[in-house]
Amino acid sequence: MTRDIQFVLNGKDVAITCDPLKRLLDVLRDDFGLFGTKEACGEGECGACSVLKDSKIITTCMVPMGSVQGCEIMTIEGLRETARGKCIIEAFADGGAVQCGFCIPGMVVAAESLLASNPDPSEEDIRLGISGNLCRCTGYDLIVESIRLAAKRGKGLW
Amino acid sequence: MVETCYIPKDLAEALRIRKETGAHPIAGGTDLMVSHRRGTGVVPKFPWPVIIITQLKELQKIEVEDGEVSIYAGSTCHEIEVSELVPYQVRKAASLMGAQSLRNLATIGGNICNASPKGDLPVPLIMLDARVELVSATGKRQMLLDEFIDGPKRTKLQDDELLARIIIPQPKAPFTYLWYRKIGTRRANAISKLSMSAAATVDTHGIIVDFRSANGASGPKVARSRAVEETIIGLSVDVLAERLPAFLDAYDAILSPQAMPQYRRSSTRKMLEHFLSEVSRRPDTTIIE
Repeated sequence: MTRDIQFVLNGKDVAITCDPLKRLLDVLRDDFGLFGTKEACGEGECGACSVLKDSKIITTCMVPMGSVQGCEIMTIEGLRETARGKCIIEAFADGGAVQCGFCIPGMVVAAESLLASNPDPSEEDIRLGISGNLCRCTGYDLIVESIRLAAKRGKGLW
Repeated sequence: MVETCYIPKDLAEALRIRKETGAHPIAGGTDLMVSHRRGTGVVPKFPWPVIIITQLKELQKIEVEDGEVSIYAGSTCHEIEVSELVPYQVRKAASLMGAQSLRNLATIGGNICNASPKGDLPVPLIMLDARVELVSATGKRQMLLDEFIDGPKRTKLQDDELLARIIIPQPKAPFTYLWYRKIGTRRANAISKLSMSAAATVDTHGIIVDFRSANGASGPKVARSRAVEETIIGLSVDVLAERLPAFLDAYDAILSPQAMPQYRRSSTRKMLEHFLSEVSRRPDTTIIE
């Protein structure tokens, strides 16, 4: 059984015919070729599949397409084209936040979600803001530093 | 052909589908999409037809009417955590459920209807005497949340009904002291190993006029005993210390003898001891840490 589902993906109106129980994560990767959204745990624990749904961070491994009708989805591929996204990504690069890189799209989405609600976060706020995202390489310190750097450089963006 | 998934436009259509098919509701997906997943690129499979209710606007609001707070079933943990209409312990419990990304999806209706013994929101809600309103194509009914949750993973929801809202009554007098604690492992996404919600009202003469306490993850369902609470209601805070050991023993007896390693019992005891000794000190702060 399939359904026609329309939504906004990275600022463009899109439509897809698919099983309404197919996960948003699989649609983004398999149908739209947006491989920045990663699957690791598949159960909402690791944050690698994070995107923004109507400007709120969500884990796409838990979301059936049937609940995406009419929503605005922003993935890392859309975010990196925005001034905010560019600011975070440059801060991650300059701050040495990236090692293997697998968790980084989710971390950038989490950073955007945090800064959108709190443009001047404390270290504790940042750690809480990325607490749903697991990184097995960095030990988090350089990611935290880089988000602080993004907040400093990007004053006025959020 | 039997549909496997329904996406109703409004509540009336959803209730008609429930009546005709008994399809199981799915809201945030944070429990059901995970428990029925089949791996990367494979569509999750459910043993029954499902009805997606995330989009139902009628189930997405939090309001106060005649002093009672109504949290509609589709409200997310995030919406609850930031709502100033919602009582402290319920907001606190919602704020400690998983990470932000989960709290943006998970709904109060799902947390209640999933009826996990470790569910976080039923604990403060049962302490607050919350009721549920169940709607169907033919009418609606209300009952205490404590009665609605029947046992582990079991509720009294009929096949043609949906949980519409949770109603939290106002206590007779505002609580003087509030307590909420959740014990888990990882702070983001921890499943409760133990959670406890308590509240007390002390009048100007130092008499405890109201006291309630509920425990989660302590047995097949939330543990609360009005009979045990009664043993300290009416007491002066001055005699609380001497009555405490008997009260703690009685409270211990309401916790399930099965699903209950010793540390849960000792932690419950210590939390109650701490909360009540703070109450007897009568501090100026409402929230006891």
